[in-house]
Amino acid sequence: MLHEPDTDADVSQQQPANEPYVEPLLELKEVSRVYGSGDAKVYALRDVSLRIMPGDFVSIVGPSGSGKSTMLGLLGCLDIPTSGTIIVGGKTVTGLDDADRTEVRGRTIGFVFQQFHLIPHLDATGNVETALLYRGLSKSERRRRAIESLDKVGLGHRHEHRPVQMSGGEQQRVALARALVTEPKILLADEPTGALDSQNAENVMELLTNLQSPERAVVLVTHALEVADAAFRKVSMRDGRIVSDMTRVR
Amino acid sequence: MKTFKDLLMVSLTGLFARKVRTLLLLLGPMIGVAAIIAAVGLTDSAKGDLKAKVNKLGTNLIEVSASSAFGGQDPTLPEDVLDRARSVVTVKSVAKVHELANIVVTPYNEAKDKYEAVPIPVLASDVLLPSVLEVNLISGRWLNDFDEQATSRSAVIGIGLARQFNYLPGETRTIELGNIRYGVVGVLSEVELEPAFDNAVFITFSAAKADFVDTDKILANKIYVRSQVGAEKDTSEALKVAVNLGGPDEVTTDIKSEALQLAAQSDQQIKLIVVSMGILASIVGGVGIANVMSISVIQRSAEIGIRRALGHTRSIIASQFLLESLFIGLLGGICGVLLGIVSIFLGATIAGWVFVLAPWLPPAGILLAMVISVIAGLYPSVRAAKLEPLETLRLG
Repeated sequence: MLHEPDTDADVSQQQPANEPYVEPLLELKEVSRVYGSGDAKVYALRDVSLRIMPGDFVSIVGPSGSGKSTMLGLLGCLDIPTSGTIIVGGKTVTGLDDADRTEVRGRTIGFVFQQFHLIPHLDATGNVETALLYRGLSKSERRRRAIESLDKVGLGHRHEHRPVQMSGGEQQRVALARALVTEPKILLADEPTGALDSQNAENVMELLTNLQSPERAVVLVTHALEVADAAFRKVSMRDGRIVSDMTRVR
Repeated sequence: MKTFKDLLMVSLTGLFARKVRTLLLLLGPMIGVAAIIAAVGLTDSAKGDLKAKVNKLGTNLIEVSASSAFGGQDPTLPEDVLDRARSVVTVKSVAKVHELANIVVTPYNEAKDKYEAVPIPVLASDVLLPSVLEVNLISGRWLNDFDEQATSRSAVIGIGLARQFNYLPGETRTIELGNIRYGVVGVLSEVELEPAFDNAVFITFSAAKADFVDTDKILANKIYVRSQVGAEKDTSEALKVAVNLGGPDEVTTDIKSEALQLAAQSDQQIKLIVVSMGILASIVGGVGIANVMSISVIQRSAEIGIRRALGHTRSIIASQFLLESLFIGLLGGICGVLLGIVSIFLGATIAGWVFVLAPWLPPAGILLAMVISVIAGLYPSVRAAKLEPLETLRLG
């Protein structure tokens, strides 16, 4: 199903010419991602260009097969494009080796997934701490920051609980705390409410909305229109291309 | 350093979170190492009493005897044999004896008929003999310089003879040596390296010359030497030359503990077979580790994916899994060593052996378990590192 831009809302072009230049947090330049080769070649993404600016609250929407997951992988430096350039925080990541790309990813990007992907044998604090490992922090400092982050998502009372002891909504909030604890410039959320009931989905969406700040960008990848509508900017995709990129006036 | 600390923590948490799986993984290296330790320990323990005996008696007693070249009678050592022996630098102490032939020994004259048939050796010996043999007296005293100078008819008897003659400790008794009465001044304890001494009579050289030898000189035909430990073979060879040089008779040497040492050697073939089985068990254990860890990598692919997404590099992931298998090896090794020691102890106790555990065994066992576990962990670790986060996280 193709989602048309929401014509009822006020829309304006991104980055008016009269405003001073702001460096994008993340930029895709004519990026293509091809799977397979020869006759079996499939373009998951075709010549896509996109800028994510500080303060952006973007949703990337599109039906399944539209290339939004591929897009998320590329935005999150989890994948490298077949052609084109990706720049994260002014640094071109397309030429980097895996270790350097991993370093950029850990430093700049926070992830939230549909399936939460919490580590089952760790409690909430342990899961959040995982994001702070191998950064030269002491155990107590890691713990302090993890608890602080859990408090921010309203899970102050659930520090010691393991994922199985928590509801889906709580688990997703732990995942949010884990994504935020490194203070990333970009928060990438992949169908963050996909596995939640409506009440929990609403809570998580509210948290995500509040997380958006002038320095940070929140990027939602979703096929759910009501989730996409929460964002100020909506990028619609189809067949591996961006078909519309609208920003709602706040 | 901090990174390593973090890795250590993550690996240990991973292991302790899956206790049953970890325990099952431990079994492989544990059984292997336990089998090796028990095999080596039990084969050693079976000969442990002999080994202990060798250690107690010392391996450095050398006997140097005169032997005639062409069937000559009564071969002797040179007169200055003690000085010659001492000229070998590895010689620590030396004592000489002369075995007297054909002397009938009886406890008292009336018993002559009974004892004539059984020859009892009579030795002229110097005052240093017990100290070179490193044996004490059960009762009384050894022959001393006064006995030697005064040509007194004092005798010391071996413990076997004392039993045979029903000699009571401290009792004032005499003994008949070819109809000449000698006073027994002491009883020598068991001489394990020279069992013949247990049934011998010892008298001084001067008394022997006065009572039993017709020639004007009495020369030693045997000396006992203590060498530096470890230099027994070289000393033995050197003594042959040093003692014999220029003399008419030949000299043979004998390291007294050699036979005992040979008997104390563990059965190498049995040991080899059981150790091979232990190594095989360890390798099978290693294959088990590789197997279970590979499955574990698949089961934990989401965890690996999220760790990679959170900024953990491939090498960190590989190290995490490798450390897990290293710990399995370490723990399995330690448990195996303990189990092995318990097995040796039980086996030795039941069989009545002396508990023997070579000090290199426990560290070697633990090392083997660790090496096998790390090798087994290599493949799963590399696989874990190669997982692509995108594939494992199943993006919606």
